[in-house]
Amino acid sequence: MHLLMAITVGMMYATGLYMMLRRSIVKLLIGLVLLSHGSNLLIFTAAGLSEGNPPLIRPGEDGMVGPHTDPLPGALILTAIVISFAILAFACVLVKRGYEEVGTDDQNAMNTTDQ
Amino acid sequence: MVLTSVFSLFLLALVAPLVTRVAGRYAGWVLATVPAGWAVWYAGFIARVGEGEVITPASLVWVDSLGVALSTRVDGLSLMFALLVTGVGALVVAYAGGYLAGHHHLGRFYGYLIAFMASMLGLVVSDNLIAIFIFWELTSVTSFLLIGFGHDRAAARTAALQAMIVTGLGGLALLAGLLLMGVAAGTYEFSEMLEGGITLGDHPLYIGILVLVCLGAFTKSAQFPFHFWLPGAMEAPAPVSAYLHSSTMVKAGVFLLAKFSPVLGGTEEWAWTLQIVGGVTMVYAAFLAARAVYFKRILAFTTVSSLGAMVMLLGVGGPGEAAAMGFLLAHAMYKGTLFMVAGSVEHQTHTKNVEQLSGLMRIMPVTFAAAALGAASMAGVAPFFGFTAKYLMKGPIPEAAAGSFLVIGVMAMGIFMTTAALLVAYKPFVGKPNEAASAGSEAGPALLLGPVVLSVAGLIGGLMPGLFVQPLVASATAAVTGDAPEKALSSSIGMINMGTLLSTSTLAIVLGVVFYAVRDMLRRTTGLMDRLDPMLSGPVVFQRVLSGTLWFGRLQTRLLQNGSLNTYIRTTIIGFIALVLGLGANRLKNAFLWQDAERPSLLGMILVVLLIVSGVAATVFRYRLAAVAALGMAGVASALIFVFYGAPDVAMTQFAIETLTVLIFVLVFYHLPQFTSFTGRMQKFSDWVVSLAFGAVMAGMVMLAVQTDMAPKISGYFSENAVPLAYGRNIINVILVDFRAADTFGEIVVLGIAGVGVAALLSVSGRSQNPTKPDGGVA
Amino acid sequence: MTAQLLASLPLLVPMTGLVLCLVFWRWVALQRGVMVGVALSLSATAVALLLRTTGGEVLAVRLGDWPAPMAITLVVDQTAAIMVLLTAVVAVACTLFSLGGIDRTREHSAYYALLCGLFAAVCGAFTTNDLFNLYVWFEVMLMSSFVLLSLGGRRAQIEGAIKYVTLNLISSTLFLAAIGLTYAMLGTLNMADMAERLAAAENPGQFTPVAAIFLVAFAIKSASFPFFYWLPASYHTPPSVISAVFAGLLTKVGIYVMIRFFGLMFPASHPDAGMIYHIILWLGGFSMVTGVLSAAAQMEIRRILSVHIISQIGYMLMGLGIAGSALHRAANDGDPGGVLAGAAALALAGTIFHIAHNMVVKVNLFLVAGTVERICGSGDLNRIGGLYAARPGLAALFLIPALSLAGIPVLSGFWSKFLLVRAGLVAEAYVIIGVSLFVSVLTLFSMIKIWIYAFWKPAPENAEPHNPDRDPTVGPMRWQYAGSLFLTCVTILIGVFANQAIRAARIGADQLIEPRAYLDAAMDRAGEPASADPASAGEGVAR
Repeated sequence: MHLLMAITVGMMYATGLYMMLRRSIVKLLIGLVLLSHGSNLLIFTAAGLSEGNPPLIRPGEDGMVGPHTDPLPGALILTAIVISFAILAFACVLVKRGYEEVGTDDQNAMNTTDQ
Repeated sequence: MVLTSVFSLFLLALVAPLVTRVAGRYAGWVLATVPAGWAVWYAGFIARVGEGEVITPASLVWVDSLGVALSTRVDGLSLMFALLVTGVGALVVAYAGGYLAGHHHLGRFYGYLIAFMASMLGLVVSDNLIAIFIFWELTSVTSFLLIGFGHDRAAARTAALQAMIVTGLGGLALLAGLLLMGVAAGTYEFSEMLEGGITLGDHPLYIGILVLVCLGAFTKSAQFPFHFWLPGAMEAPAPVSAYLHSSTMVKAGVFLLAKFSPVLGGTEEWAWTLQIVGGVTMVYAAFLAARAVYFKRILAFTTVSSLGAMVMLLGVGGPGEAAAMGFLLAHAMYKGTLFMVAGSVEHQTHTKNVEQLSGLMRIMPVTFAAAALGAASMAGVAPFFGFTAKYLMKGPIPEAAAGSFLVIGVMAMGIFMTTAALLVAYKPFVGKPNEAASAGSEAGPALLLGPVVLSVAGLIGGLMPGLFVQPLVASATAAVTGDAPEKALSSSIGMINMGTLLSTSTLAIVLGVVFYAVRDMLRRTTGLMDRLDPMLSGPVVFQRVLSGTLWFGRLQTRLLQNGSLNTYIRTTIIGFIALVLGLGANRLKNAFLWQDAERPSLLGMILVVLLIVSGVAATVFRYRLAAVAALGMAGVASALIFVFYGAPDVAMTQFAIETLTVLIFVLVFYHLPQFTSFTGRMQKFSDWVVSLAFGAVMAGMVMLAVQTDMAPKISGYFSENAVPLAYGRNIINVILVDFRAADTFGEIVVLGIAGVGVAALLSVSGRSQNPTKPDGGVA
Repeated sequence: MTAQLLASLPLLVPMTGLVLCLVFWRWVALQRGVMVGVALSLSATAVALLLRTTGGEVLAVRLGDWPAPMAITLVVDQTAAIMVLLTAVVAVACTLFSLGGIDRTREHSAYYALLCGLFAAVCGAFTTNDLFNLYVWFEVMLMSSFVLLSLGGRRAQIEGAIKYVTLNLISSTLFLAAIGLTYAMLGTLNMADMAERLAAAENPGQFTPVAAIFLVAFAIKSASFPFFYWLPASYHTPPSVISAVFAGLLTKVGIYVMIRFFGLMFPASHPDAGMIYHIILWLGGFSMVTGVLSAAAQMEIRRILSVHIISQIGYMLMGLGIAGSALHRAANDGDPGGVLAGAAALALAGTIFHIAHNMVVKVNLFLVAGTVERICGSGDLNRIGGLYAARPGLAALFLIPALSLAGIPVLSGFWSKFLLVRAGLVAEAYVIIGVSLFVSVLTLFSMIKIWIYAFWKPAPENAEPHNPDRDPTVGPMRWQYAGSLFLTCVTILIGVFANQAIRAARIGADQLIEPRAYLDAAMDRAGEPASADPASAGEGVAR
């Protein structure tokens, strides 16, 4: 299963990157989302998959009993999800502004700031 | 006290503009008193140093951990230079007051000039190699400002740039050379090297040190092929030429070579390098001097030639060093004189070309007298000091490694120097005053003082060598050779056959006069030189190298920074793949071969396939809403994977965020155009290759991480202590709000700032909306 | 003041400023006051930190007081203190400049709040010892810079921002992935803990590919070759003071983190250390050359300065590379007389010194460029001129940092060059030193080019008349001069008091090379021989 998940992570990165490599800047946004899926799954998979209990402590008990999913990667992913959402929202508006200014969503038309 | 002399001059430089404002037209005289005072103070040491004493005041430690200190050491060599720097400096400051009278930036000029003086003085009295370098660089900077003083003219700016880059290049070589010397000798204090008897000739780093130090010295002292910046630097006002380009800065390279010769000299490499480079420079520049027509240009080339002779003599070693010292002192005096004369003539007549002047003798008699004395010394006419110098020179040369070549070279130099001397001191002054000359008048006292004092000093030096010339030259030679002063000179004097000397000198002078007479023909027949010299070495090469570099820079910028974002992304990712594979290709490959104990479950497989399919679908769909839907599907699938593997909290957040993301996309896409495909099939294919390679690397990373378990995870602590210490049952929540609350705080800040950003962008968007696009304003 | 409080102040002060600025949303004058207060108190904090850490003490605070290594820990050693101090210096200068140089529209769009957020994030990144927390600060930093960059929303800014955002997000993504992989391998997020676990691991080479991801992520952040594209595309587009803050802080955070991370994770004993530092050395070399060549080809002041950052980053990478390689060689081939160890310490000290010097000088040059643009209405060297005669004060304010950047003596840049070149020569890294000296000449050329075109050359005749002193949209110009003057004094003072500055950098370098005290502080082992918590039991392994 790990290998399958690894391949999935790889595919998320591959598709994400492919979308970012398109000249249409809208596709770039989609690529960003795919990349962040890739990262989240990577953190999750790399820490080890186990079809065990979620990290919730039952009432009346003081700690986890038996095998359970590592809670720390979950916490990291949660933070990362929110942060990438914030950035995505900003990027969307930025791209929209870019389109308004340049009049096309071709990345290569946005080259006035380089030599 | 020695350091005080340096610092007081720096201080004087700072207040010079103020003094200029207060003292008005007397500012030059006022300012000149300080260096003059120091010159007198240094002159007081002549007797003591002449007896072989070395003055080493207490040093000022700067950076103790690196061995950098402002330590000073006044031996014969330093004393001679210190006297030149302060003495000629005082004359030049006074001269500048007359030459630049009324110039609106005169205050700054004094400031730069005196700052240069201070740097140069610091350079010659310093003992610590790093201190020497510091002052060395300061002379470069101040001379840059001085050369570019007339910055309204493009030529002045170019000349300043050239001088700065060439000497800057040499300075960096010198820095490396000095640091290597420090490494090899184990100290930066030069006196410690001398006292320890350290010679680096056998050190494995010697060749490196020699090359680097020579590069520094040759660039500063305008040796072939770096000589071109000096004639260019004649763009500077005459006081600058008289000071920097005759007696001080350009001699810094010679000074350095002389100073270091006890430690670095005495080897075959040293002898050959200095003799060849110096010899070639000497002849080549003298020849160029004989065929130049501009007053200061003639002088500049003779200066280069003389510097070449000094370098060559240092390469000859032994008695040659005495000759170098004598020549150095003589040259400083007559060349200072002639440069100031050139400046006065230019100032009074507004003519720079010697061929366009005649008969100035009647109009500027005092100036002429000084010029004549200086030129006679330059031509090496007895009994002037220049003759003495020549006299010292003739002895050791035939014994040198490149002896026969050098004998001819010195002869040639003597001839051309005579021609040059006639060009500057005879041509403009004799005959009937022409129109240009009649327009002028005799210079004022400020412009006369310098030339007169220096030229008379040259005469006295030749007539009464015992007065100051002999002790100075002897002790300077002693400092270079390490012998006692009285011995240093006598050994070289004994080698000369007076008869040969007089006959060769006379021959040189006669031939020089002949060349002067036929100078027009000389110029015409060698007209090729006008094109050849710049091509060999000069501004053209400099410009070529520079524009080549700039061209390469532009080319590289165009290639790398082409403005296309997806090129940037592609290069970044390819760089990433290359680096990762370079560091761990083997480990990643092995990671894939690992046998997983855990069997894939059916549900897991379904979810994974769903995820991959929706990801790929997002890339191939041509309709943006379909792509967004596929994206949403991918989000759902990954959320389900989280649920499946025991992370319901993550899944819930993922669902929520996914919904919002899709919503935003739909809203934004409403304002954006349909997908357009800008790229061809080949591009898409190669992009897929890069993307899949990237994906494969990341997948390999996951596999590597899954099977690498170097240490137990810390999360056990959170599971155990969530309830007892943090009173929460949802461990992920507890981690977020309690154990790692700082992350969550940062996350909120990111959200908040993003909100500010979105608001700001949208408000600008609303304001700048074009009325013809009514659908854009609201979001 | 307790060590805990003091160590958390670099983060708390600007964060408080951020909150206050948001509270005073409507009162710009109050926000200005807050900003001045933040800059001054941050400076005071930094000075206090520097004095505390000079003796070798390392301050640490475990946020929430959870035991190490579970808690997020902020750790301040000498290097971190130096960085915080320089951040404070930049904050003071940019605040001064902003009072006169930032337009009213931006001031009303939370400019000061964003600035506070940026400073907080930078200080957080300098002090945190937790890898994921570092990611969070990176994101705060990026988000603030994104918004600062795109405020105002002219076309060039938006275009620059899109490139900046995209390439930095790739860096963040890689960084995040690497953190996940690291946690999977080493089971912890505390960098000190990670270092000790890796050192004790049976097969530490397994971590090297992950380190390569970190290397790329940090290289993108620090704009080193071949990952620098976002920088020339964006840095010259916002108002100059924003460029200045970016130029001073952002890339330097990348380099700092690289030094910190690789210093901890790849000490000389790691089998792959030699390879890693060799790569860093080469990245440095190429960054130096490409950066300086591109800069030489530019004709606009701020573009020259922007592209030039890449070259300076190369110097810093070079120092790190020389130090790491020398230590690795010393560990493998022996080091009679400690020559290589000495060179390594010197190189690392040179790197720290260079970062500090560069922050001061680069920010100053950008500020001066801003003033030039305000006076002349353009930064295009072909369209401006005559400033030397018209504004001698400004000329001096440009020339001093420019010469400092080129490494002319007595100014701060000379000493960093001196340290690095000397270390490189002792470590026998002749090729890279040769390259760096060549680059130094071109640096000098670029600076002189600006000087000649903008200051010496007479103003072109078609230059439009312009009265910069009476511009109603911005504040008075004297504040701009004040900011530049402050930084100019700092660069001179660093040069004159080089002994003290080099000593501080040297202490920092020694702590990085021998991080015992840092590890103990981060792992909360003050005084006690072994830690009591279960997860790190048996982790007291000597490195």
